[in-house]
Amino acid sequence: MVRAATSTSGSVDAPPPVPETAHHSRGFWAEAWRQFRRRKLAMAAFCSVWFLVVVALLAPAIAGTKPIVCRYKGELYFPALAYFNESWENPIFFNDKFRKIYPKNLKKKDPESWAVWPLFYQDPFRRIKEGEWEGQPENPSGDQGAPNKYNLFGTNQQGIDVFAQMVHGTTIALLVGFVSMGIASLIGITFGAVAGYLGGWADMVLSRITEVVMCVPTLILILALLAIVEKTTIWHIMAVIGCTGWTSIARLARAEFLKLRDSDFVIAARALGVGWPRIIFRHVLPNALAPVLVPITFGIASAILTESSLSFLGFGAPPPNPSWGTLLNSGRDNMHLWWLIVFPGAAIFLAVLAYNLIGEGLQEATDPRLRDPGR
Amino acid sequence: MLNYLVRRLFIGALTLLLITFVIFALIRNIPGTPLTVAISETDPSRKLNPADLERISKTYGLDKPWQEAYVLWLGNVLKGDFGQSFSRKKPVTTIIAERIGPTLLLSLTSIVLAYVLAIPLGLYATARSGKFDERLTSLGLYMLYSLPAFVGALLLLLLLYQKLHWFPLIGMTSDDYESLTTWEKMRDIGWHCVLPVTCYTYISLAYDARFIRANMAEVIRQDYIRTARAKGVGPLRVLFVHAFRNTLIPLVTQIGLTLPALLSGSVILERIFSWPGMGSLFFDSIGERDYPTIMGLTLMFSVLTLAGQLLADLLYAAVDPRVGYS
Repeated sequence: MVRAATSTSGSVDAPPPVPETAHHSRGFWAEAWRQFRRRKLAMAAFCSVWFLVVVALLAPAIAGTKPIVCRYKGELYFPALAYFNESWENPIFFNDKFRKIYPKNLKKKDPESWAVWPLFYQDPFRRIKEGEWEGQPENPSGDQGAPNKYNLFGTNQQGIDVFAQMVHGTTIALLVGFVSMGIASLIGITFGAVAGYLGGWADMVLSRITEVVMCVPTLILILALLAIVEKTTIWHIMAVIGCTGWTSIARLARAEFLKLRDSDFVIAARALGVGWPRIIFRHVLPNALAPVLVPITFGIASAILTESSLSFLGFGAPPPNPSWGTLLNSGRDNMHLWWLIVFPGAAIFLAVLAYNLIGEGLQEATDPRLRDPGR
Repeated sequence: MLNYLVRRLFIGALTLLLITFVIFALIRNIPGTPLTVAISETDPSRKLNPADLERISKTYGLDKPWQEAYVLWLGNVLKGDFGQSFSRKKPVTTIIAERIGPTLLLSLTSIVLAYVLAIPLGLYATARSGKFDERLTSLGLYMLYSLPAFVGALLLLLLLYQKLHWFPLIGMTSDDYESLTTWEKMRDIGWHCVLPVTCYTYISLAYDARFIRANMAEVIRQDYIRTARAKGVGPLRVLFVHAFRNTLIPLVTQIGLTLPALLSGSVILERIFSWPGMGSLFFDSIGERDYPTIMGLTLMFSVLTLAGQLLADLLYAAVDPRVGYS
C-alpha cells in the first residue's frame, strides 16, 4: 500500500527523507487513529474526556478556598495543592493558626502579602461562612440552597457547594475508570492469554476461576474487603472494581489467543525456540490488543458506573469524599432538592456516554469490516 | 452431544462448589454476625452479654469454624434443606418464593416490552442506515444506553412524581390495598409498576436495538443479500425474510444469557422504588448478615448464570447447523 499523497503540515519545508526502501504502508495503529479521527462523535467524546482530565487537574484552581499562589512573609507558597494531598500544605499556615481560612488571615498576619485566588471561592468539604470572602454571603443550607450567583449548582443540606464537590469529584471519576480498568486489563489479559495460548489444563482451571469471579457479587466483595482493611479509601474500592471487572476482558483475550495460536508467525517463533511467555507477550499480544481494547474502554464506563452506584448505595469511600454517586445519594432522600439529582446525574451520564462513544469509535476504527459505514 | 452435556454439567457442578465455597468464606469473615448486627441496630444499649451470645451462637451453629459450617450447609442443601433465615424466622425457600413474584413481574414485562420495541427499531435503523433520521435514532438509543439506571430512575421520579404527581413514589401497592376489589388491586399494582418497568425497559431496549442493528449490519452486506436484491426482491422482503431471519441466531443465544437477569432483579432499582423483590432481599440480607438467605440467593444466581451459558451454547448448536458438539 502506498502512503497517501496528503502530507502533514509543517513538513513542507523540511527536505524529504531519502527513501531507503520502498514506501512502507501506514502501521495498524496509525491507520486506526486516522479512522478514529474521522468519526466526529468519537472525537468529541475523546475531547470531553481530556476536558475532564483538565478539570480534575485544575480543580483546586476552579473551586477552592486556598490561594493558588500566594506570597506570605517573603516566601512563595502554593496552598491549593493541599486539595490533592493534605500533607502538601505548608506547616507555616498551620503554625500561624490560619484554621483553613485564608483571605482574612493573609492580610491580617502579613499586610504585604498577595495571592491568586481560585475562580470560585467555595469548598468541597465545608460550608462557606458569612464574611469569609468579601461580599459573599453565607452558603444557604437545608432546603434553601437552590442554584444562585455564588453556588452555581446549589448547595446540599449542610450548605456545602455542589459545584465545588462536583469539580473535585471529577478526580475520583477519572481515577476510578483508569486505575480499576488498569488492574482489570492486567489480570484479564494475562488470564485470557495464558488460557487461550496454552489450552488444556491451564485453560480449564483459568476458565473456572473466571466463572467463579463472574458469579461473586461486587457488593459481597466490597463488604468482605471492609473486614480486611481498617479504613476503606477510594483506592480500595478501585482495587475491588478492578478485581471483579476483568472477566469479559479475559474471555475476549482468550478467544483472540485461541484464534492466533496456530498462525504461521507463532509457529515460526516456536520453531526458533522462543519460550511461551515471550511468544504470548511479544508476538501474539500486540496482534490481539485491538479487539481487547474495545471491552477495556467500555469497562471504564462501567467502572465509573459501579463506583457511583456503590456510593449511591452508601458503600463507597467514606466521607468527606465528593464522589458524584454520593452527591446523587443525598438527592434521593430529598427529591424536592432537584439540583442534587440533575447536576451529578448529568455528570455521571456524560462521563459514561463519552467512554461508550470512544469504545464504539475504537471498535469501528480497528475492525476493517465496520470501517466504511453503509457499504 | 450427550457426552458434551454430561461433561458440561460435571464442570458446572465443580464451579458451583467453588463459588459457594468462596462466598461462604467471604460472608462468614465480614465483621458482625446475624445476632450482633440485629440487636445493636434495634437498641445499642441492649447488647447481649457474652454468655448469652455464646449460648445462642451454639443453637444456630455460629460457633463452629466456617469450614465446618460450610460442609454442614452443603450437606443440608444436597438434602434439599436451605436452612432458616435468621432475621425473618422463615425457611429460605419460602422467603425466596415470596420475592420471586414481584421481581418476575418487572423483569418479564420489561424483557417482552424491550424485544417488542427493539426489533422494529433495529430493523428501521438498518433500512434507513446512514440517513439523518437513523443517525438521530441511533444517537438517541446510545444516550439511553449510557444513562445509568439509577440516574434515569431518579430523573423520572423527579419529573413524574415530584413535579407532576402522576405516579406513586415507592412500593408495589397503595396503603389501602387490602380494602380494594380484585380489579382495583390489579390497577393499583399496574400503576405502581409503570416507573420501575420503564427504567428496566429503557436499558434493555437500548441494548437490544443496538444488538439487532449490529447483527443486521453484518448480514446485510453478505453476497446473498446482493443476489436477492439483484434478482428483484423487494426491499421489505429482503429485510424481513432474507436478512432478519439470519440474525435470529445471535438473538436466540442472547435470550439464554438474560436468564439470570430475569430472577436476580436489580439491587439499585429495587432499592430506589422500595420494590419487594429479589434485589432488595439480597441487599437487606447482606446488611443483616443473614447467612442462609445470602447463600440461598447466590446459589440460585450462580446456577442461573451457568445454566444460561449452557443454554446459550446449546441453543446456538440447535439453530446453527454449522455448530456441533461432539
